[in-house]
Amino acid sequence: MSDGGGENVKEGENNLNHLHSKKSRSRADDFGLSIAKVAVAQICEAAGFQGFQRTALDTLSDVAVRHILEIGKTGNMFANLAGRSQSNVFDIIQGLEDLGSIQGFSGASDVHHCLLGSGTVREMVRYVGEAEEIPFAYSLPGFPVLKEREPGRTFEQTGGSPPAEHIPPWLPVFPDPETYVSLHKIDEKMAQIWEDEVGGPVEKRRELDKTFANLQQRMACNGTQPSVEVDFGNEAKEKGLVECNPFLTPPLQHGEKEVSLVLPPAKLSDEVFLQSANLEVPVSHISAMETFAPGIEAVKSGTFDFEDGRKKVPLNGRPNVRFKLGGGKRCLRVAISSQNQGIDKNSTWFRNDDGMDDKKRRVEQILKPSYESAGTDSLVN
Amino acid sequence: MNATSQQQGQGQGQQQHPNIEGRHDDDAALSEFLASLMDYTPTIPDELVEHYLAKSGFQCPDVRLVRLVAVATQKFIADVATDALQQCKARQSAVVKDKREKQQKDKRLILTMEDLSRALHEHGVNVKHQEYFADSPSAGLDPVSRDE
Repeated sequence: MSDGGGENVKEGENNLNHLHSKKSRSRADDFGLSIAKVAVAQICEAAGFQGFQRTALDTLSDVAVRHILEIGKTGNMFANLAGRSQSNVFDIIQGLEDLGSIQGFSGASDVHHCLLGSGTVREMVRYVGEAEEIPFAYSLPGFPVLKEREPGRTFEQTGGSPPAEHIPPWLPVFPDPETYVSLHKIDEKMAQIWEDEVGGPVEKRRELDKTFANLQQRMACNGTQPSVEVDFGNEAKEKGLVECNPFLTPPLQHGEKEVSLVLPPAKLSDEVFLQSANLEVPVSHISAMETFAPGIEAVKSGTFDFEDGRKKVPLNGRPNVRFKLGGGKRCLRVAISSQNQGIDKNSTWFRNDDGMDDKKRRVEQILKPSYESAGTDSLVN
Repeated sequence: MNATSQQQGQGQGQQQHPNIEGRHDDDAALSEFLASLMDYTPTIPDELVEHYLAKSGFQCPDVRLVRLVAVATQKFIADVATDALQQCKARQSAVVKDKREKQQKDKRLILTMEDLSRALHEHGVNVKHQEYFADSPSAGLDPVSRDE
């Protein structure tokens, strides 16, 4: 009974040890150590051993590796002491004498003895003469494998001239312009999609391509979400279809003022529902637009009442800020317009919002400015 | 041979003019030994030694020096192994004296941690290992004694 229990415990221990050893064997130097283990096992076999304890073999191979490292270190140290960077035989012999000083060797007592006749060397000569020559069991590749790096071809090698004068010709050539000027393939794909959906003319598609490339760059700078896009009122009127697409807005010009309008998504959705149901905004609701003095002034002097003005701020020629908030499949949108007709259209838009699928919505979004091209400034997503 | 070389060494140390002939002999012997290393293949492969020498900051393009280090390490390991073997044999003979008939079956020479740590200690390497772990008093005893 006690036997059985004992054996069970033993087995459990063995399993645990096995697992543990497997887990811990993930060192970078595994290859070298295992080779050292084979070599040490061969040496021990030659010495007369018939079997090993695993731990003993591990320890001995570790000692062997450390011995090599120590010889290298002391050899290097003596070379540096003599003012050299490369070691020679005498550095190694001196290092070996240092390492062997614990065990002792013939002639160690004399401090001034010549290294040529060192006792350690004589012992090694004797050992080489006596010991039988056992080559390593396996043929080894050189390790660690060092990859030859191919440097990139320079402007000189390719024969081309650098695109600008300040770039010296010994620098590696630039990659193909397609890879960094514009994203052609994606452009074409997107243009194809737009053509399918919108059916726009070719010139417009070219413009889309151009602006889309710019936008791609800006997107890469901005990060992903939420991305702030700025629209221009006048240009939107001129370009119509191109500019109203939120994906196609040109970058902000130098000197243009950016009016940021920050709305948290929850309030956005509130506003959307309130707008669509033509309900009043609760008083506790504080919009970021309230702090926007010119907007409020315009509201006071404007064509519509304050209730609407909270949500719909006229932007007199100023660039409008678009906030895109990724929330699942559906994107929330608040339209801001300075004109009442625009509001009406927007409200209808939002009323129908629930029933629309994404494709239809995009088409309408693209086509809408042509409806309201008379007075609308812009559109806020 | 050892005695003569010692005398030579002492002679060099005391009288500052060295024995030129003896040094020539040593020089020739050393270069001959290094040349012979080119034909000798140590058990420890060159690649391993090169790798670890490079790791330790040692740099030398000479293959003979790599072989020299390999031979030195091999000799060191062989010395340790021989010592451990002596320990093992001594221990086995001591045990056999006590209960000869029981220990007859495992007479194989096995490199154990106990012998190895003793042998390494003589060479200046301190290896401490866990002596023994037992979860129950009877776990380490061999089955025969446990039955009793």
